[in-house]
Amino acid sequence: MELAFFYLFAAGIVGASLLMVTRANVIHAALLLVLAFLFMAGLFVLAGAEFLAGVQILIYAGGIMVLYLFSIMLMNVGVAVRLRQWHRQSVLALAAAVLLGAEVWAVLGRGGYPGAKAWGWGLGQTPGNVEALGEVLYTKFLFPFEVASILLLAAMIGAIVLAKREITR
Amino acid sequence: MVPLTHYLALGAILFLIGAAGVLMRRNAIMILLSIELMLNSVNITFVGFARQWADLTGQVFAIFVIAVAACEAAVGLAILISLNRDRQMMNVDEINLLKW
Amino acid sequence: MPREYVPILTLLALAGGFGLLTLAATFLFGKRRPTARKAAAYECGIIPQTSARGRFSVKFFLVAILFIVFDVETIFLYPWAVAFRDLGLYGFVVMLPFMGLLAASLVYEWKRGALEWD
Repeated sequence: MELAFFYLFAAGIVGASLLMVTRANVIHAALLLVLAFLFMAGLFVLAGAEFLAGVQILIYAGGIMVLYLFSIMLMNVGVAVRLRQWHRQSVLALAAAVLLGAEVWAVLGRGGYPGAKAWGWGLGQTPGNVEALGEVLYTKFLFPFEVASILLLAAMIGAIVLAKREITR
Repeated sequence: MVPLTHYLALGAILFLIGAAGVLMRRNAIMILLSIELMLNSVNITFVGFARQWADLTGQVFAIFVIAVAACEAAVGLAILISLNRDRQMMNVDEINLLKW
Repeated sequence: MPREYVPILTLLALAGGFGLLTLAATFLFGKRRPTARKAAAYECGIIPQTSARGRFSVKFFLVAILFIVFDVETIFLYPWAVAFRDLGLYGFVVMLPFMGLLAASLVYEWKRGALEWD
């Protein structure tokens, strides 16, 4: 049953992302990526990462993709659809991607990931997924957490400096 | 329980789709969207490992990946907007000002 | 298979089924007499001025960036709030620099005038 749901979500993700990379219209591509993110949230629930599933929908589908759609609307999408879509290096790039795929396949085929442990589902457990995550995040991973805030500050300043010139001019 | 190799294979497939998108598309926004796909494939791998070993480290790092992705999207899109505004460019092979 | 998610699946099936059923019923049994006014895009009763395909102002993008930054902040605050009872004073002290830096980003955006609409 769990495997069936895994295949359902996996098929949704792969299908949506394959459609996404081949679209000529960027708005269609962004909406297909949102669909892939929703399937991914389902996959995270299946893997016992309930909080990440929520984060996926809140940040990715609700925040980052809105940012993408806003900036798509700042540019002229209608013109871009009629242009040549594929880079001149496409054939070479596809060959490189296939080669990388074969390499990954060879590594995965070796298998051998020992020590699978039973994983409690987050709901109805003490402590739940979010609480356990909080306890790890603010003790063991304190330094990356504080660095993340500096990164957010730097990214916001950079984005404002780059995008704001139009207003001041 | 879903075997770990399933998560790894799914992550690898998505990473390859994203990499092919980055290398093959001309439209800069499509390239950024493909990068988002690649970051998410890494998240799937993290979550798969966290499930395999009943360890929350993978999930914590997936949260950090998402935070980094938010920053990347904000700065990358701001660069595209300023390029598009000043030079009307949206395709990566037209952006060659630094080439000699 | 976690049994806790069966109600969610049931709700999903019911809601989706209701939506599909309603759409199918109106598609099959409804009468269609389109006029120009009926076929126009519905903008909450306001008559559309121009095409929605035009270019938007960069001001929306700045607001979206502000939204993203504080969205990510919420994500870090939520597990903190849930685990706060166990973390105690330590958790409070740990959160101060994070909140301080994000407050600094808000002050920067404010001073830079990105919050002003015109």
